Amino acid sequence: MNLALILQFTRQDLVDRYAGSVLGGLWTFIQPLVNMLVFILVFSQIMGARLPEISGSFSYSVYLIAGLLGWIAFASTLTRTTTAFIDKAHLITKVRLALWGLPLSIVLSDSIVFLISLGFFLGFLLLIEHPISLHYLWIPLIFALQQCFAYALGMVLAILGVFLRDIRELVTVVLQLWFWLTPIVYVFSIIPESLRPWLQFNPMFPVIDAYHSVVLLNANPKPQGLVLLAAITALLFALGRWLFIRLERDIRDLI
Amino acid sequence: MIEAIGLTKTFKLYRKPSDRLLESLLRKPRHRRHTALQEISFKVEHGETLGILGRNGAGKSTLLKLLMGVLLPDRGELRLSGKLTGLLELGTGFDIGLTGLQNIERNGRLLGMSSQEIGERREAIIDFSELGDYIAEPLRTYSSGMIMRLAFSIAIHADPACFLVDEALSVGDAHFQQKCIRRIKAFREGGGSLIFVSHDLNAIKMLCDRAIVLEQGRIVAAGTPEAAVNDYNRLIADLDDEPMAMRAGTEQHHGYGNLALEITRGELKGDGSGSEIVSAGELVCVRLQINAHRDIDDFTLGMLIRDRFGQDVFGTNSHFLQYPLSARAGECQTVELRFPMNLAPGQYTLTAALHSAHNHLQDCYHWCDNLIRFEVAGIIGPVFYGVARLEPQITTVSPARPTEPV
Repeated sequence: MNLALILQFTRQDLVDRYAGSVLGGLWTFIQPLVNMLVFILVFSQIMGARLPEISGSFSYSVYLIAGLLGWIAFASTLTRTTTAFIDKAHLITKVRLALWGLPLSIVLSDSIVFLISLGFFLGFLLLIEHPISLHYLWIPLIFALQQCFAYALGMVLAILGVFLRDIRELVTVVLQLWFWLTPIVYVFSIIPESLRPWLQFNPMFPVIDAYHSVVLLNANPKPQGLVLLAAITALLFALGRWLFIRLERDIRDLI
Repeated sequence: MIEAIGLTKTFKLYRKPSDRLLESLLRKPRHRRHTALQEISFKVEHGETLGILGRNGAGKSTLLKLLMGVLLPDRGELRLSGKLTGLLELGTGFDIGLTGLQNIERNGRLLGMSSQEIGERREAIIDFSELGDYIAEPLRTYSSGMIMRLAFSIAIHADPACFLVDEALSVGDAHFQQKCIRRIKAFREGGGSLIFVSHDLNAIKMLCDRAIVLEQGRIVAAGTPEAAVNDYNRLIADLDDEPMAMRAGTEQHHGYGNLALEITRGELKGDGSGSEIVSAGELVCVRLQINAHRDIDDFTLGMLIRDRFGQDVFGTNSHFLQYPLSARAGECQTVELRFPMNLAPGQYTLTAALHSAHNHLQDCYHWCDNLIRFEVAGIIGPVFYGVARLEPQITTVSPARPTEPV
């Protein structure tokens, strides 16, 4: 596992893609910043959205961004990890690359973008005098779990996706549905009673709920869902590893 | 040191991607097997260069990919001491939006160099590529030759214990090619092993210590480069429907003339190689079969060797050689010319003609352009360049002594 190579791929993602442009690496900061400004201004000032439970003109924006930042990283990591082998096929077929650790650069670059966005978010929270407590220390841990889940699931899909190219399209479609099945844009309380138990089958629900607990309620996240997710992640990881050992030869032949 | 033991590789070919899925689900095979390599075993010691010859599709590239670890074998073992760098492609990972300097990092790392090694060798790489200040410009401003030079320069400085090269040597102009050959020789003298896959028979003879021939996934010949090249040619000749020595005037009418005399067969064979691929300096025998349809008292047989640009390199005829020839109607004779092939390595053609007197302007019986194609590969004796070996003798006329004070 070549760490220097992973770091190089990460830098390619974040900096090199802007080579030749004047602002260069600054664009990595501009996009999350603009995203955030849009959510804050549009929803709080222009649409006047409010949360039923929590007061304050920015409450909805805070709720939205708290869930959205994590989701953006998750969706990006999952989508890109799924196509990691196919995207790097032009290298895999020409030089010796360790396949198992290859998508780590994706996790790393998405994490860096998340950290930048989180920085802007925290700045915004300080500006509106939103209370920030020690509970916020949960955020990196929740994020780490979420990314491990994305990586483990992504690896399984990446391995299968070499043989069934449809999987790449499938992931895009499923993520769209998944987004709306998770209370990021809407609040939990508007979900009808009868449907609420189904939410426990959504692996991302405990993650988003945890972000909301920390940022809005200044409380510890609920542990049951997160522990279950950790178990699922471990299983996916084992499955991915088993598939990989059996199929690496065929992956290299086919890619 | 590289050692391959029993490497075997089969590819499964499916007609549709869904067939692959159906096979895993239904557990019934739905593929054809293509055996790319079977029981390949060889060893390359420190400082040794092994050449790999074979027709297209024989399995050369597959073997290289196995050695590099890009593909995994079905069976067999690979033993390596030290790092191995493969050159399947020049400039892997190059991004034309980035500068030459940045691409040195990118490509170097993919080739297995550590950050420290890249830092240490950066100056040498830029120097070798002769790109000068251009190294700070983005690759999109480079010509393809410049990109190739940079790519090769990075690769040659990867300094592995073993180097695999797949036909990537023919880059740059003659000056750059010579630099590359010198660098490769220095690499070998430093104890590095080299595996060289090529169709360039001359390069194989000049660079390799040993060579193997692959055919349909198996090693069919192994030994000295000369022997391997000969075996390779025999292989090609046997497998072709029409051997290189063409039969003039049978199915396709080659040549022109009034055909009172006709060249029906032309063949060039080296004494050592037994084929039309000969070494510079090797004795060759050009054999021509002549059919006469009329009685002709005095005719001349001419031969003209042209290089691959069509330039006349050497020509003579039996009149200049003062060898009388005549023929009776209905007879067939075979005439032979023997000479040492003191031409530089390259591709050549031999044109043969039958005419009266000392040139073909009076009566041209049969003129066959490019009757025989042959190749000179490898040099017997001292190396030379250019077109022909002139065999200079060198002596010291006045011995060295200190110059007189002015």
